[in-house]
Amino acid sequence: MDKILEVKNLKLYYHTNKGAVKALDDVTFDLYKGETLGLVGESGCGKTTTGVALLRMPSPPGRIEEGSQIILDGRDIMPLTERQIRKDVRWEEVAMVFQGAMNCLTPVYTIGKQMMETLQEHREMEKKQAEELIKEYLSLVGLPPEVMGRYPHELSGGMKQRIVIATALFLKPKVVILDEPTTALDVIVQAQIINLLKKLKKTFDLSFIFITHDLSLEAEVSDRICVMYAGKIAELGTNQQIYGKQGPMHPYTEKLLQATPLLRKKVESLSFIPGAPPDLIDPPTGCRFHPRCHKVMDRCKVEEPPLIEVEPGHMVACWRCVK
Amino acid sequence: MSLNDNDVILQVKDLKKHFTPHQSLIQSLAGSGQKRPIKAVDGITFDLRRGEIFGLIGESGSGKTTTGKMIMKLIEPTSGTMVFNGEDVTHTDKLRTQVYRRQVQMIFQDPYASMNPRFKIRDVLQEPLIIHKIEGDNQKHDEMIIKSLTEVKLNPPAEFMGRYPHMLSGGQRQRVATARTLILNPMLLVADEPVSMIDLSTRAEILAMMKDVQRDLGLTYLYITHDLSTARYFTDRIAVMYLGRIVEMGPANELIDNPIHPYTKALIEAVPEPMTGKVDVIKELPISGEIPSPANIPPGCRFHTRCPYAKPECSEQSEPELMDAGNGHFHACRRWKEI
Amino acid sequence: MSAKKSNSRFQEFWDDFRREKSGLIGLGILAVAILVVIFEPLFLPYKDVNEGNWRNISYWEDNSSAAPPAWTNIFTSKKSAVSTTFNSPEVSTEEDPNYGLVTTYSFKYNYKYDLPPLDLIIRAKASGMSLFLMELERPDGNIVPVGEQFFEGLNEDQIRFSMDTDAASNAYEFARQFASEEALANSDSTTIRPTFVAFSETGSDMLSARVPLKGTYTLRIRVPSFITDDSNNVLEDLRLIVTGRVSGILGTDTYKRDIFTGIVAGLKWALFIGLATSVVSVLFGVMYGIISAYFGGFVDTSMQFVYQIFAGIPVMPLLIVLAAIFKPSIWIIMGVMIVFSWTGSVMTVRSMAFQIKEETFVEAAKALGSGKWRIIFKHIAPILLPYSFASMALAVPGTIVYEASLSLLGLGDPTIITWGQILHDAQNSGATLNGLWWWIVPPGLFIALMGATFAFLGFAMDKILNPKLRTR
Ligand SMILES: Nc1ncnc2c1ncn2[C@@H]1O[C@H](COP(=O)(O)OP(=O)(O)OP(=O)(O)O)[C@@H](O)[C@H]1O
Ligand SMILES: Nc1ncnc2c1ncn2[C@@H]1O[C@H](COP(=O)(O)OP(=O)(O)OP(=O)(O)O)[C@@H](O)[C@H]1O
Ligand SMILES: [Mg+2]
Ligand SMILES: [Mg+2]
Repeated sequence: MDKILEVKNLKLYYHTNKGAVKALDDVTFDLYKGETLGLVGESGCGKTTTGVALLRMPSPPGRIEEGSQIILDGRDIMPLTERQIRKDVRWEEVAMVFQGAMNCLTPVYTIGKQMMETLQEHREMEKKQAEELIKEYLSLVGLPPEVMGRYPHELSGGMKQRIVIATALFLKPKVVILDEPTTALDVIVQAQIINLLKKLKKTFDLSFIFITHDLSLEAEVSDRICVMYAGKIAELGTNQQIYGKQGPMHPYTEKLLQATPLLRKKVESLSFIPGAPPDLIDPPTGCRFHPRCHKVMDRCKVEEPPLIEVEPGHMVACWRCVK
Repeated sequence: MSLNDNDVILQVKDLKKHFTPHQSLIQSLAGSGQKRPIKAVDGITFDLRRGEIFGLIGESGSGKTTTGKMIMKLIEPTSGTMVFNGEDVTHTDKLRTQVYRRQVQMIFQDPYASMNPRFKIRDVLQEPLIIHKIEGDNQKHDEMIIKSLTEVKLNPPAEFMGRYPHMLSGGQRQRVATARTLILNPMLLVADEPVSMIDLSTRAEILAMMKDVQRDLGLTYLYITHDLSTARYFTDRIAVMYLGRIVEMGPANELIDNPIHPYTKALIEAVPEPMTGKVDVIKELPISGEIPSPANIPPGCRFHTRCPYAKPECSEQSEPELMDAGNGHFHACRRWKEI
Repeated sequence: MSAKKSNSRFQEFWDDFRREKSGLIGLGILAVAILVVIFEPLFLPYKDVNEGNWRNISYWEDNSSAAPPAWTNIFTSKKSAVSTTFNSPEVSTEEDPNYGLVTTYSFKYNYKYDLPPLDLIIRAKASGMSLFLMELERPDGNIVPVGEQFFEGLNEDQIRFSMDTDAASNAYEFARQFASEEALANSDSTTIRPTFVAFSETGSDMLSARVPLKGTYTLRIRVPSFITDDSNNVLEDLRLIVTGRVSGILGTDTYKRDIFTGIVAGLKWALFIGLATSVVSVLFGVMYGIISAYFGGFVDTSMQFVYQIFAGIPVMPLLIVLAAIFKPSIWIIMGVMIVFSWTGSVMTVRSMAFQIKEETFVEAAKALGSGKWRIIFKHIAPILLPYSFASMALAVPGTIVYEASLSLLGLGDPTIITWGQILHDAQNSGATLNGLWWWIVPPGLFIALMGATFAFLGFAMDKILNPKLRTR
């Protein structure tokens, strides 16, 4: 399969006055054409930060550090100027549905007006033509054209999320980053949105980066899953490798899965990970997970485990997997 | 099944809450747009048994929070009755409400918002003691505060008392919120999505803690959620709400393993599971569209507009009442045998 | 760690505030102003001015009228004598041919100007009786006989001897020794100014040419011992006041009042009126807004109605009418300003309170059994109050200017000193027409400066505190 996106040694630090928050530290992964890559992890592990880094738009005081490479469709976008990024990359090639974006629709304008504005910002277009396009995309996400005349508060959460997704697809990007697109929605609407995303992926031959903290959901949408912990990749594997019989290899992933309540199985008690994620200004030495790990060894406390391929396509950063 | 009155801590009977939409003076004078009432809760009946965890489940907008707030007496029911410990508490005077509030407490969904950001943890926990004029000086209060912080396993308690909420993680905050409700020794706790905003790794921990507390103190919980997976793990009995009414109710395991109502089936179907092999499958959802507006409830069975098994009779006949299917399993589908 | 973090809210505010230059400037000026108020006696040249002496004409009689500030000498080619007070005379005892033993009090005055002082005034506090034998020894050795003055029946009274009014004939006599006949014929003791004679080079044209004689002058006051030895007679606090042509830091007005004294004494009133009025009115407005929002419904509607009425009435005309009807008192003026300026913060507070009212922690408090007032005072008000500090600071300039405008119209409280009143007096006395800029500019400037100080503070606080609430 072709790589649409290669991320190499991506570092993004937030330079706060208390010190640099190492929100992304040497993150390396690829995204193939037509696949969905899931990013999972606890709150604050750097999922959103990865998303905005790919748009080259870190929120202040964030900065992508020297040595990071983002290769989009064969072209390294790191050396590009901000103008080129805006013209060629952001929204054109890589689009992002932001966390909570559906609650950020302006309450005073109709949906049609808001979508129109986004569209005309990027494309010179007759109003009539734009309207047609909006209607087309609305129907793609399963909404009737009447929605254009409605105000955000008149729509349900699911409908608003569909509108946000339609807006991200307008410019026919190659990569779409979805940051927690269903977190605020209930299960039925979530399932509907997931079905919609799967259909869209086929129709447009899109590549998705799907960010969520819900491991169960990730199992249903992502071809490959990237588990992040404290700004680093802990484990990256195919759906089968993570959720299959053999199970994940990193103790963190293992614990996360055990902590996920299951519907079809009654369990008496769930296990959980004690403690909290570390402070990213001054992360623990060695493996960043070692203070909470149930399989910790002496080596973990001093040496940082490399992300190594333990079987084809399965990368793990754990000393236990190093032969 | 007959229940001894003593086993029931709260009896909710045909409880309704209809909101009247806000109307400007001019609108009502002109008589235009006479808006329909929003039937957020439209007649629900259930019993909470002493010492059980009862789950109230449903889609967004099905009226779960409204029910919880009525039980908390934060809003007045439009009609129906609530009997708490054998006493009718539907409408109570100020004094009685105050007493009731010592016995019934609530944990809110958002651990970040449910505490005044300007209060230290100590103040947060002392507030109920002050409100209810619990005897004792500061030192006595401190002892009680430490006791309840210990109950929710915040260790060492004294270290947390001087902190502000923003210095705690979401999980720690929800523990404090739980401690705040426990300090008055309540009998019934209403927990409205207590873990939906808590980090995935901590969620199990908080639920386990809440379960321990419930067992140790013999509490009764009303657990409100839209997350069936945690409900299965956490609750003893579940009631599924749809558009302001209970459509199915029964023991948690029984209800999830053998759902009867098509709506419950759909809910269960929609829950994702951490299993491989589902990526390329488009899930067949036995339900379509979105929940109708509670201002415009479909006639007959209110679920018929989305029900894959709906027949004309479903909309023509009157609203089905809860029916007994045995084993304490109730449902509101007339055609349950056929589907 | 927790102890350090417990004041983090303030710390956080301060960290942000430090970056606001204008805010720091405002804070600096305010700090200076507060220090000046606290240590006011150190800065006041006339310490008793606060005891109702600002409008007491005789309190100021030793000053020159409409004298420019002393530092204007820097810009003029002919230097004017500066008003000065000498407090501690040298005391000695000598033999006098007429009175026997006398106690001599001598004041040394170094005269180095081109234009002589207008008066030399001798003052003391005395009881019983006293006899002053006064003379002025000039640098050229000549002695001007200033005069003899007998005081009696005193009981801790102020005694005053003014060379200008009481020594005219003696000075004329002195001039006669030198001046030409012609010059003397053109003048008499009523047309000369004694100090002009005393501070000029001797010569035939000394009455007209008035060449200044620079150097050290000694004024001696002799008091016979038989008076000083009698314990019934007390003489203390003997002073020589040189009434110059330029005076003090900010000069004097036509009523001889020291303007710097007025400015310093007015500062505390400016701060008090400004702060008290805006704090009370903003606090009231905040509570009004919170209550209106919290109770909502009918209460809100009626409170908004009342608000509209108050917000619609223009304060200034009303103040004018009221001040004209009642005896102007600062309390009434402040009261009226409060009654009609609390409306400023109501609408913002109300909308913020509407938001906070819906917050979960308010609902949680209700679920715990909190009463309405507990929620209002314990939960909502403490959150909104910091944000109203900005409004308070921003309201101060307005109140200062209101008071000044009232005073300017002559409707100020006569028992206090305010900058507005100084301006009013200046205007009434035609200060502009007579070019007495030092009477007009300072009070105007200080009103503006205080206004700017609080505006700076207010804007800085607003910038820091308010966006946070909006994004909460
Ligand atoms: N603008 C910022 N300034 C400083 N630190 C930041 C900023 N944005 C994010 N961070 C920090 O960077 C880390 C990663 O944040 P990020 O938002 O990427 O996490 P996330 O995985 O998306 O979490 P969540 O599930 O809560 O959305 C966190 O520790 C966060 O506190
Ligand atoms: N104060 C109110 N005024 C008018 N309508 C209301 C009010 N409160 C709730 N509603 C409506 O009542 C219905 C039920 O609301 P409720 O909050 O009880 O749902 P819920 O089941 O808790 O949903 P969620 O899962 O989103 O929290 C919704 O349609 C809501 O819009
Ligand atoms: Mg995020
Ligand atoms: Mg709810």
